[in-house]
Amino acid sequence: MPVDINIINSLNLFEDLSHAELEEIVSLMRRIRVTEGEAITRRGAPAHTIFIILSGNFMVFFKDGRSYTLHNKGDVIGLSTVVIPFYYTGTAVALSDGVVMSMPGQELLRLIESNPALSDKIMKKINQIIAERIPFVTGRC
Amino acid sequence: MYGLDAISAHNGWHMAALGISIVFTGLILLSFTVAQLHNILRLFDNRDAYYKRIRGLFKKNNNKQEVSDSDLSLSNNVKEAAGQCKLLIERIGEPFPLPRLIELSEKCGMSHPYSTINDLILAGFIVPDGKGYYVWNQDEQN
Amino acid sequence: MENLLMEFISNTGFAMADYRHIIMITVGIIFIYLGIAKHYEPLLLVPIGFGILIGNIPVFKGLGLSLYESNSVLHYLYFGVTSGTYPCLIFLGIGAHTDFSTLLARPVLMLLGAAAQMGIFLTFLGALALGFAPKEAASIGIIGGADGPTAIFLSAKLAPHLIGPIAVAAYSYMALVPVIQPPIMRLLTTRKERLVRMEEPRVVSKREKIIFPVIGFLLCCFIAPAALPLLGMLFFGNLLRECMVAERLAHAARTSIIDTVTILLGITVGASTQADVFLTPQSVGIFALGAASFAVATASGLLFAKFMNLFLRKKINPLLGAAGVSAVPDSARVVQMVGQAEDPTNFLLMHAMAPNISGVIGSAIGAGILWSFLGG
Repeated sequence: MPVDINIINSLNLFEDLSHAELEEIVSLMRRIRVTEGEAITRRGAPAHTIFIILSGNFMVFFKDGRSYTLHNKGDVIGLSTVVIPFYYTGTAVALSDGVVMSMPGQELLRLIESNPALSDKIMKKINQIIAERIPFVTGRC
Repeated sequence: MYGLDAISAHNGWHMAALGISIVFTGLILLSFTVAQLHNILRLFDNRDAYYKRIRGLFKKNNNKQEVSDSDLSLSNNVKEAAGQCKLLIERIGEPFPLPRLIELSEKCGMSHPYSTINDLILAGFIVPDGKGYYVWNQDEQN
Repeated sequence: MENLLMEFISNTGFAMADYRHIIMITVGIIFIYLGIAKHYEPLLLVPIGFGILIGNIPVFKGLGLSLYESNSVLHYLYFGVTSGTYPCLIFLGIGAHTDFSTLLARPVLMLLGAAAQMGIFLTFLGALALGFAPKEAASIGIIGGADGPTAIFLSAKLAPHLIGPIAVAAYSYMALVPVIQPPIMRLLTTRKERLVRMEEPRVVSKREKIIFPVIGFLLCCFIAPAALPLLGMLFFGNLLRECMVAERLAHAARTSIIDTVTILLGITVGASTQADVFLTPQSVGIFALGAASFAVATASGLLFAKFMNLFLRKKINPLLGAAGVSAVPDSARVVQMVGQAEDPTNFLLMHAMAPNISGVIGSAIGAGILWSFLGG
């Protein structure tokens, strides 16, 4: 199912982007319905797809049992798609029925590589998110 | 030899009829199996609940309250679930890994373990300890 | 020296060429043109087209140049075709490339894939009636499966001398799916039927996708064991794709392996169409029957979809029946195109993929059955 550009515009990750940049991003995205208990990423699997939550609640858990939950529209899952190690470091499971937007990581990377201005805006946001989550991933809490 | 004679002479009618019948049989069987696959998986996932229901039929008068992983029966009502999850958390110990609590709730036959625990998180019964694990929030319960 | 020069000149292609070589070279150039300029299946038509050029340079026998000489390089490469190795490796790649979720979400659409295989068996009867031997008739009939690798596989097993014309016919008609199918689709459906919207498919879990190739393989190959080489590789490729722990292998299967084999298959099948073995009255018959086979397969799928609608509570769009011929994904795209011509907001592509993929399974089973009937 295609994604509405206004939805993308309202998300924190993409709020600084121009209309043209948003259109490019939207063309890569698909809406996916998920059901309670469904895993959208699995730890150790190659990270091909990045997910952005539109509705629903999610838990991301790691090998040692550590986990965090995501409940807000715009929260991102699967950042390993665009940064090392390029495989999912955690398993993301839907805690309730919901809707996510999926975007092929290779396509996003290609877009980022071909558009330095866009790259700068998105990577800054992604780095912020990673900085918040890194203790969970590395177990350095 | 040409025409219908050639077809008959080479047993063509039988081969064609049997051939298309086998293709149909194969794909109908596959289609039927695939159509039932998700039902079978659901049955498998809820096998504990089904076992329990079957066991319940044989043990109607047994009122013994045993708190073990498989004998707990949990409802989806948040307050009730809160009390029951509390029991499970006591068994795991605090702070506890959230996936372990979900796994245990599932084993105990909770019908929607993910959304129930999500409700408990949103209601503030279960809170993160800041280190990736979770604790039971006594204040919220009181 | 003069003698040597005259001998050399008499051995050049210019001296040895006759009108048949010119015809075949023209055909090769047309294939290359269609692939590059018209984008008709370029990944197939360009290698086959160039293969036709390679195969139709007139050469003198004995030097090991021709594909049909046992000591030539091309002959060794062609072994992958005659042994059935290339088609099976292509099926591995198709499996690793294909997402079966639309089929899992609506398994009833698989029946359309079965119905379209009627084209195979009706053409088999037609070929018998025209005087072809049973093994040749079966190889010609499989063109209606609209599946190049399957057609080559069966021809290699039953009628190796016809691989060239059958492969060229199968791939030509697959490339021409957007031209052949729409008129038949419009003829056999009403506007109201073409406007039918399909229900959104249910979400398919990862576990279902992992289990499907194992169950599908066991079930299909127990019913038709002769389909084992093709379906074994198809379902194995799909398991690699879905199991998540063998992504490197799946990636290799759907990229480097299938690409390498497509090049080798295309070039050798093209080269096998040497004028003296290709330009025969038999080839004309094969092309005519191939076209009929495609048309019958399309019509069978469409009519069966209409027949199913008599019993279904929630009607399906009968155009989906045309996707039962297994030219993946072209016939599904044609369904989308014809559907959207009536209603631009009606998206049928994902629904059409279900009969399209089951058509691949159905045609492989069909090939297996014909091989088991006639292979002895």
